[in-house]
Amino acid sequence: MLQEESDLSLIIAQIVQKLKGSNLYSQLERQAWASLQRPEIKLESLKEDIKEFFKISGWEKKLQNAVYSELSVFPLPSHPAAPPEHLKEPLVYMRKAQGSWEKRILKSLNSMCTELSIPLARKRPAGEQKELLNKWNEMGTDEPDLSLFRPVYAPKDFLEVLINLRNPNYENGDSLSFRTHLGLIQVPLKVKDIPELKECFVELGLNIGQLGIDDSTQVPPELFENEHVRIGQKVLAEQDSAAAQQYIRQGSPTALRAELWALILNISSQPEDVLYYEQLKTNVIQHDLLVDSLIYKDVKLTASNDDYYFVFEDYLYQVLLCFSRDTSVLSHFAFNSASPPKSYIRGKLGLEEYAVFYPPNVAPLCFLYHEPSKLYQIFREMYVRFFFRLHSISSHPSGIVSLCLLFETLLQTYLPQLFYHLREIGAQPLRISFKWMVRAFSGYLATDQLLLLWDRILGYNSLEILAVLAAAVFAFRAVNLMEVTSLAAAEAVLADLSTLKVMPLLQIFLFATVT
Amino acid sequence: MSRVLVPCHVKGTVALQVGDVRTSQGRPGVLVIDVTFPSVAPFELQEITFKNYYTAFLSIRVRQHTSAHTPAKWVTCLRDYCLMPDPHSEEGAQEYVSLFKHQSPSVTFPKWLSHPVPCEQPALLREGLPDPSRVSSEVQQMWALTEMIRASHTSTRIGRFDVDGCYDLNLLSYT
Repeated sequence: MLQEESDLSLIIAQIVQKLKGSNLYSQLERQAWASLQRPEIKLESLKEDIKEFFKISGWEKKLQNAVYSELSVFPLPSHPAAPPEHLKEPLVYMRKAQGSWEKRILKSLNSMCTELSIPLARKRPAGEQKELLNKWNEMGTDEPDLSLFRPVYAPKDFLEVLINLRNPNYENGDSLSFRTHLGLIQVPLKVKDIPELKECFVELGLNIGQLGIDDSTQVPPELFENEHVRIGQKVLAEQDSAAAQQYIRQGSPTALRAELWALILNISSQPEDVLYYEQLKTNVIQHDLLVDSLIYKDVKLTASNDDYYFVFEDYLYQVLLCFSRDTSVLSHFAFNSASPPKSYIRGKLGLEEYAVFYPPNVAPLCFLYHEPSKLYQIFREMYVRFFFRLHSISSHPSGIVSLCLLFETLLQTYLPQLFYHLREIGAQPLRISFKWMVRAFSGYLATDQLLLLWDRILGYNSLEILAVLAAAVFAFRAVNLMEVTSLAAAEAVLADLSTLKVMPLLQIFLFATVT
Repeated sequence: MSRVLVPCHVKGTVALQVGDVRTSQGRPGVLVIDVTFPSVAPFELQEITFKNYYTAFLSIRVRQHTSAHTPAKWVTCLRDYCLMPDPHSEEGAQEYVSLFKHQSPSVTFPKWLSHPVPCEQPALLREGLPDPSRVSSEVQQMWALTEMIRASHTSTRIGRFDVDGCYDLNLLSYT
């Protein structure tokens, strides 16, 4: 008991420390000072009166939301003897793997720089700055020569690194035995099985209403949809983050989604946030980074060719270019196994996000948010909470390594014939599903289905649902897959996911498959 | 009350194995680490901190010198404390662990080292189970016999169920 109490007080101390530096703290202080004018605040019972005032005026709720947000994001307090890198990632061999992966990327980036004789970062001349400012809202119309730029890495390369991860203390033996893993991932991380997943995702059960299933045209809306929308409006009126997170597990009505996501991610559009975005925009105008060209090329190749997302091309540039200069993203690196490289811009210490093959994760968000600074905040928060785990090597249960292992284990356990058949024809299932998971399915599913999926990511605060969906897709197309005889044919069967309905697939796989 | 680090000497690990046989194939799952305290002055141990490396369960035994006349005896302070909830996966494998005085099962607070859990009686077990080396040699003999029989496979029938054709179907039907 003593241990738990001391853990709790440590967590409380850490959260208080974190919140003290935040905007909310100064706002609360200001409000407290202003409230002294009010008649109901008496000097004798000052503390209680102010607390009461906060409760009535809704400020207590804001504080509750902030604390809840910190609890969801911050890892548990660690042992006092543990060094900071242990907090990032407790397993030494994973840290090493992430370190060498980063070195490889940097090397590739640097060699591209020297090859093309382009500096990593440079200050733009005044004329160029003015030009960029003028066409800030239509950067998509630009047609610079990007043919020499090549992507720094593709998902395939990252998968190869993950496949080669080995725990030095784990003996597999050379021969195939019950101890070797039949899939591609060879590290013994703990993953959930279907009974545990059923417990975890209990709100997706067969007897509980879901958006994505129970709002289809054949179902009369009085049965579920109307009531669900009503509850959603109530949750928004209460402005309660925790309630919103619980509510969204059953899906979010389209009209309420933008606000619900903002509430769950605890994003409020304060004037300071718009100012912050403007500041980042200024950084983009003033300095040109090599990463910018890579982002530009990436967006041109992917989103602008996509039937749904091409309309948002300009938004994407505005968000991604700013993101690559955002130093506050640094704070999340304290519990991410990655470390950002630093670059010097003419003597001033600048920061650049290492060049990743940016998955078009921003594009679906454009459907929800039209105002650039809000769009930017949502994207940044989603990245810092969830999506960064898809690009770094760690042992976290939502990290890409665990997701891959979860996918392979689910397939092996519940579809053993299919798994064996695909292995035999040289089509390891992970080679096909990896690109879906690493992009959180964006670009593969229809947008409305994708947003329903991301509702659940927010609701359950975990990316495990991506692995479950990947396994469910294989289960759905199992009959066709059993008949293919090559990797190319298997890829063809699974090439088009745009017609899939996500929620029925998940429900059937978790709750209605005979095991 | 300030806390200080107690200087201690940690010896290398020793594997526990049955008998004298040193096999390279079988790797024992139990290792023993000896920790000695060179300083002679008595002290009150509050906390033990270490970094785990793939140990699933931990037991701590202490040898105490109670007085000059009685010989020092070993007492168990912690038995099978779980460090890794699932030994086959990575959970807890490389974590930092602290063991505190109050975690030991004794009731009297300052004397945790002198009144620990009474040692279980392994003698009981010994009466119930046969001697392992005897069992293994018997199993070896049995296995050798089965190999012999398998090697000398003959085509002669065992013939237990056929005595002068008396199990012939026609004969049976008369009874």
